[in-house]
Amino acid sequence: MSQQNIHLNASPLPLHLRELSLRAGGAGRLLVSGLSLSIEPGQRWALLGPNGAGKSTLLAAVAGLALPAGGELRIGERVLAQWPARELVRQRAWCPQFWLDPFPASSWETVACAVVATQPAVSAQRAEDVARDWLQRFDVGALADSDVRTLSGGERQRVALATACAQAAPLLLLDEPTAHLDWAHQVLLQPLLTAWSAAGGTVFAAVHDLNMAWSFATHALLLDGRGGFAAGTRDEILQAAPLSHAYAVPVSVLEEGDARWFRVDLSATGNGGNEQRKTGQ
Amino acid sequence: MILKPPPLAAALLLAAVCVPAALCIGLMAGSSGWGWPQGDILWLIRLPRVLSAFGTGAGLALAGALIQLVTRNPLADPYVLGVSSGASVGALLALMLLPAGLFLAPEVGAVLGALAATSLAFLFTWRAMGNSAGRIANQPGTVVVLLVGVMIGAACGAAVSFMLAVANDQQLRSLVFWLLGDLNGASLWWPLWAAVGLALLLAWPRARELDWLTRGDAWAWTLGVPVAQRRRLAILAACIATGAAVATAGSIGFVGLVAPHIVRLVGLRHARALLPFSAVFGGVFLVLADTVARTLIAPAQLPVGVVSAAVGVPLFLFLLLRRSQGR
Repeated sequence: MSQQNIHLNASPLPLHLRELSLRAGGAGRLLVSGLSLSIEPGQRWALLGPNGAGKSTLLAAVAGLALPAGGELRIGERVLAQWPARELVRQRAWCPQFWLDPFPASSWETVACAVVATQPAVSAQRAEDVARDWLQRFDVGALADSDVRTLSGGERQRVALATACAQAAPLLLLDEPTAHLDWAHQVLLQPLLTAWSAAGGTVFAAVHDLNMAWSFATHALLLDGRGGFAAGTRDEILQAAPLSHAYAVPVSVLEEGDARWFRVDLSATGNGGNEQRKTGQ
Repeated sequence: MILKPPPLAAALLLAAVCVPAALCIGLMAGSSGWGWPQGDILWLIRLPRVLSAFGTGAGLALAGALIQLVTRNPLADPYVLGVSSGASVGALLALMLLPAGLFLAPEVGAVLGALAATSLAFLFTWRAMGNSAGRIANQPGTVVVLLVGVMIGAACGAAVSFMLAVANDQQLRSLVFWLLGDLNGASLWWPLWAAVGLALLLAWPRARELDWLTRGDAWAWTLGVPVAQRRRLAILAACIATGAAVATAGSIGFVGLVAPHIVRLVGLRHARALLPFSAVFGGVFLVLADTVARTLIAPAQLPVGVVSAAVGVPLFLFLLLRRSQGR
């Protein structure tokens, strides 16, 4: 990938979570409680945890879409709920897991929505240029004029990522950004997120692939699905013990110089592993 | 599939030619033959009827486009909200209970019925359309809006069936004609045009946000769209346009469903272009359909709904199939 030019629409602000508790659907099962941490500009956080642990719920809460069951979320000094939606657009971008495309629209038109939403006065030509540029960076430039409904899952996902980036808000909330992506395009994401934080932006991305998490993150938040969590630097959290606890399967870590590789240790997955999983639920 | 840029200039040009052409054809065609009509026939009969036809088609097509956008359902039409069914009940009640020939009785009844159905729809869907912060999950709102509309429609349908069952033979003919959609005697064109214009003025400035809304409530909200307000606004505009159209001409089917699709198929896919051009296309279409309806078996007249379906179904299928075969 060529040089990354990233211009953010607003000055980056830290994200503060204070004694946050989240419930499924707002009032259901307790997902996490007492979650306190600060995410500073320039950091890249991997949000990890088993299915249903509350990763998407947390991202939606940070996006302002759902009120937390308890505690407080702040962007900068201001409580999230007090941010007017129109200012929030310039501060955070949210890339959901699912998209609805009921009517025809080209890829670049879909991306351009985000440009227009942040800069209502932008010229149509400029919005189109920005949109096409972002599609190019995610290697879907050739599909810029294609109907989004005819794209494959991975292509649509890259259009979605381009849309989130085109919003140019410093806080990038990505819900499973590597879902549907082939290897080549997963690899593409890492330098881009690094460039994003180098420009002062913040990345908060829910991922399932621990190796992917290791490759892009500076920090990690690990939810265990039982209300507990572990937060810290990448090196602290991406270790065998906390991962095995959260996922309720034995995770083994291969260290190779500075790098770490993760895999589920099948040889240790006997009855013990299964029972651990059952008690975990 | 590659999407070409919307052919806006061509569409404007086409509209500038087609609207006057359709109006002229509508004015010149009459039961007594072809030609420019004289004095009173032009001013008191042909012109109001042609303008009513245009307004009815425009209102239904605009409402159809709006409802398809806010429900994300390409199969939705203005009638899924139950507004037209409410209008039918109002009009039929007026036809049955009030003395025959009372000036504008069915029209006023239809407006009241449409208002009642709209109020009911809003009452039941107010919460489902999203809470005040717009902080909502994605799908349920649109489903509730559709289902409430279907239920209101079903209740009104039962009421209409009841009235048809108890009506005497004289009443029955006027009731059925009203239900089929009938521009005969539709002369009060200016309140209709005002209503359709108002609906377009309400919705068009927010067209871009309505486009974003189709891709998901939550995502649209993160782009700063006040989801619940916009959805209510669009539905209100659709109800105004539908109510006025149905009060003028009864339940004319098909235009509201298909006009937006045809406009999309020529490439005008963004709400900003879709809403006005659907209205223009619907208007032109219904003027021409009405012209055929009142000349084909002249001096007798066909219900315009018959013609609009007979012309529109093949036209739509042709465009759809040509498009899906790669061109």
